[in-house]
Amino acid sequence: MLSNSQIPEASRRQVLRAAGLIGLAVPGAGLLAGCATTSGAASPAETWAASAGNPLGVDATAPLDVVIFDGGYGDTFCKYDVSLYAKQFPKAKTALNGIQDIESQMQPLFVADTPPDVLDNSGASAIPLATLVADGQLADLAPLLAAPSLDDQSTTVADTLLPGALTAVQFSGKTMALPYVYTAYGFWYSASLFRQNGWTWPTEWSALVALAAEIKAKGLAPFSYGGTTAPDYWLRPLFSLAVKQGGDQAIIDIDNLKSGAWLSEPMVNAAKAVAALASNGSFLAGSSGLSHTQAQTAWVKGQAGIYASGSWIENEMKGITPAGFDMTFGAVPLLDGTNQLPVTALSAAASETYLVPAQAKNLRGGLEYLRTMLSKDAATEFTSLTHAPTIVKGAAAGQSFGSTALASTNAAITAAGANTFTYLYTGWYPTLAKTGKTQIANLLAGRSSAETFLNAMQSAADSVAADSSVAKHHR
Amino acid sequence: MIEKIRSALARVAAHGVLAVWALAATIPMLWALISAFKSNSDLFAAPWKLPSSWHFDNFVRAWSKADIGGYLMNTLIVVLSALALTMLLGAMAAYVLARFPFPGNRVIYYGFVAGMAFPLFLALVPLFFVVKNLGLLGTFPGLILVYTAYSLPFTVFFLTGFFRTLPAAVAEAAVLDGCSQEGVFFRVMLPMAKPGLISVGIFNFLSMWNQYLLPLVLNPDQHSYVLSQGLAALAVQQGYQSDWSALFAGMVIAALPVVAVYLALQKKVQTGLSVGLLK
Amino acid sequence: MRHGRLRIITLFLAAPLTLYGVLVASPLIQAFYISLTSWTGYTSAKPFAGLANYRRLLHDPAFWQALEHNALLLVAVPAITIVLGLLFASLLNVGARAGSVEGVRFSSLYQKSFFLPHILPVVITAVLWQFLYNPELGLINSLLDAAGLGSLKQTWLGDPQVALWSMAAILVWAGVGFYVILFSAAMQSIPKDLYEAADLDGANRLRTMLSITLPLLRETVQVAYVYLGIGALDAFTLFQVLQPDGGPNNSTNVVAQYLYQSAFDNGQFGYASAIGVVLCLLTLVLTAVTFGVSRRERIEF
Repeated sequence: MLSNSQIPEASRRQVLRAAGLIGLAVPGAGLLAGCATTSGAASPAETWAASAGNPLGVDATAPLDVVIFDGGYGDTFCKYDVSLYAKQFPKAKTALNGIQDIESQMQPLFVADTPPDVLDNSGASAIPLATLVADGQLADLAPLLAAPSLDDQSTTVADTLLPGALTAVQFSGKTMALPYVYTAYGFWYSASLFRQNGWTWPTEWSALVALAAEIKAKGLAPFSYGGTTAPDYWLRPLFSLAVKQGGDQAIIDIDNLKSGAWLSEPMVNAAKAVAALASNGSFLAGSSGLSHTQAQTAWVKGQAGIYASGSWIENEMKGITPAGFDMTFGAVPLLDGTNQLPVTALSAAASETYLVPAQAKNLRGGLEYLRTMLSKDAATEFTSLTHAPTIVKGAAAGQSFGSTALASTNAAITAAGANTFTYLYTGWYPTLAKTGKTQIANLLAGRSSAETFLNAMQSAADSVAADSSVAKHHR
Repeated sequence: MIEKIRSALARVAAHGVLAVWALAATIPMLWALISAFKSNSDLFAAPWKLPSSWHFDNFVRAWSKADIGGYLMNTLIVVLSALALTMLLGAMAAYVLARFPFPGNRVIYYGFVAGMAFPLFLALVPLFFVVKNLGLLGTFPGLILVYTAYSLPFTVFFLTGFFRTLPAAVAEAAVLDGCSQEGVFFRVMLPMAKPGLISVGIFNFLSMWNQYLLPLVLNPDQHSYVLSQGLAALAVQQGYQSDWSALFAGMVIAALPVVAVYLALQKKVQTGLSVGLLK
Repeated sequence: MRHGRLRIITLFLAAPLTLYGVLVASPLIQAFYISLTSWTGYTSAKPFAGLANYRRLLHDPAFWQALEHNALLLVAVPAITIVLGLLFASLLNVGARAGSVEGVRFSSLYQKSFFLPHILPVVITAVLWQFLYNPELGLINSLLDAAGLGSLKQTWLGDPQVALWSMAAILVWAGVGFYVILFSAAMQSIPKDLYEAADLDGANRLRTMLSITLPLLRETVQVAYVYLGIGALDAFTLFQVLQPDGGPNNSTNVVAQYLYQSAFDNGQFGYASAIGVVLCLLTLVLTAVTFGVSRRERIEF
């Protein structure tokens, strides 16, 4: 954990800042705030004391303070990454701390301008990225992306990444964070169960509906979902249906809060398809009252056939999944009618977001640490430990380390090529994200029709658009 | 005769009602206890049956993943010290507020009550800086003082009500006998307030034992973690790794000392109550 | 009683007030100041905003909806908990037979078991009840099935009609034991001769309860009511663990959750502080009303 020695000696400026915070000098706080945003932030205009092996000009003796979210992926890979950094800079003292409640524990550090050098901002209590960006608390990662990759001096780091990896962390065209894990979203099923029953994964939605009926005839629920904690997992299939039919523009308009975006024809068709599942009784009874862990457990225990989720699912369930389950990815099938994108188009985004705070004491060290993580060595180590793909192209050389889930995810990523898409409004507009969760839960539970759902979302989006106190983003 | 039958029926009814609630209260916890011995598969596949095999390794996992022994020690140090300090300061303040009308009495009283009302996590960030500037961040004395300060509102609130119900006659007699006001408090009133003190003491012990937000922000060093922090970390980790049986095992381990203390104190409650009866 | 009054007042209040002032009141006052700013929470800049947050609160439908849920909890939870607490306490203490002040046998065993739920940390209670309320595998629905009452089964946490009441039930379950002990302690300090006199007058147990026990317990019941009321207004952890998104169709969203969302999800710490201040005021009103009702009678015997 953070020991006292890492909370720096109160410099005169920091004491004044703290005094300002205690409200002793109200105007002082305003003045000091001005100081806060310009001090310590590495602007791209600074010249780097770069050298061949050290393109980011890292101070070889400066200590490195890394804080990670110690959750589903554990911290073994971090220890490996820190050791790589230490090998390159043996004189630098490194510290690695794994915590769970990022918000509560990091907030005071951000306010005191003493954040760590690298922060893995993930988990249920992650700090909303938009807030940190709006407060100027994050360093622009452009220098990192422009630097040469550790593996090949002639390519930049940016070129070593999978397409669409950095979409969700663009704010006004700047990359403000590094999401490390490349996540594919879709449906998941037990290949062995399907083999036993002679089922194959469909490429058309109508075939999926027929499959659902067959699954039901076997006494299983076709789908399960966690209504109380993660109904929004189903936003992914919903948007996938719409985008595959209507093209990327369907969700770009939604992200941009365009009027009527939620009521476009692809969205209507998609919502109707999902609503039909609810009215057909295709969801495990009681799903609206289950947490996602309960729903997932029901699924791996054979009470439900298919689960909508991202590719973290195998890792999350590994303690309970029975042997021979053969968890496999299934792409979201195509709606009837003409479709702009092939069925292999993939809803994909990167998560497990690493940040370098603008106030970090060893900012360049932080960037260098990220560069290390993006080497093939570190990326392969991560994937072998967690069975999750990183955003580094070709890392792990397509190995699946014995995991059917990873193998099918890799196959899906390869098949998708450049046809990846994702939505960003949930990161930009938290209130709209929350409304989305409430309303999709209503849709899945059969409490709303497709029309009600879409209208509710449209009016919520319109309110956000009209609210001038909310900062707007554009893609 | 009819009296006897009615009496007996009434007793049976009483037992019935009490038994239903006793079952409702204990069955969930018994279930958690038994589940702590199950494998994860069993837990979900057969939640209401006895374990197919008794997995003591759940406890080992919980103990080693979370350094429960060390956290237990830390918690005991912090909680027992804070409890003693709270009871002393709280009783002193409550006594004065309850029995001495003076200008500002109501203001101070409501000042304490208001402290109970405000949601803790809003005060956390300013509190962090206050504690840091006092040089008490990450120290046990700092944590103890903060626990005490945040337990004062409820203690003062509760004990004030209690002190008000105690008879004035005994106190007046003691003063006439030459006892100082402070002496009256320590030698006469405090002993009379024992039942109330025990009740609020148990409550404070529990809420301090389970206190999470304060140490989260003020006690960042993992080696100094208290049990609630360790347990929460375990819960989050197990949640992500679906290792629920280790979580239940951890919970059982963490609850054992509390249950033991409560069962031991229960006798004190009985004695305390009977002292009250001899008035 | 004049002699030494000033000395004891200052002496006894010095340490508690200092501790309280520095560590509780001062941060809270700062938090109040924050409610007058538009602080986002992650920077040292706190732009002053006057009463803007409060004005916004008045017109915020999400806040009023959450407050409505707290109001429902406020009506139900304290009342049910206190009634059950009084019922069990009286059965345990004076319920054995008419004419005597004995409780039923095994009262100590009952009391021990009643108190157990209170010992659990809220997070554990939440996880436990998540299993109990599972619509297919959970104990509640399984028991209903076993008792032939299968038609009463619900999706306890997923149905907007019952979700809030399911949460209220957990609060009652966890709280009753403590109040049984509280009321027992208070009942034990009622002198026996009052009961003997009543019995001689021919009063039955119910009459005794209503005319003697309850009035003498009034201050204790008021204390219990205020404390349970605060619990109903401030309820947070249980809701955040079981219904982090505000429940089905937002039917269990409580003000403390909305406060948390504003602070941590929406980056609006100033606004969240304003919500907190309003919560604080509501609690004070609750306390004042509850105690004001009885004027300031001192009951001694």
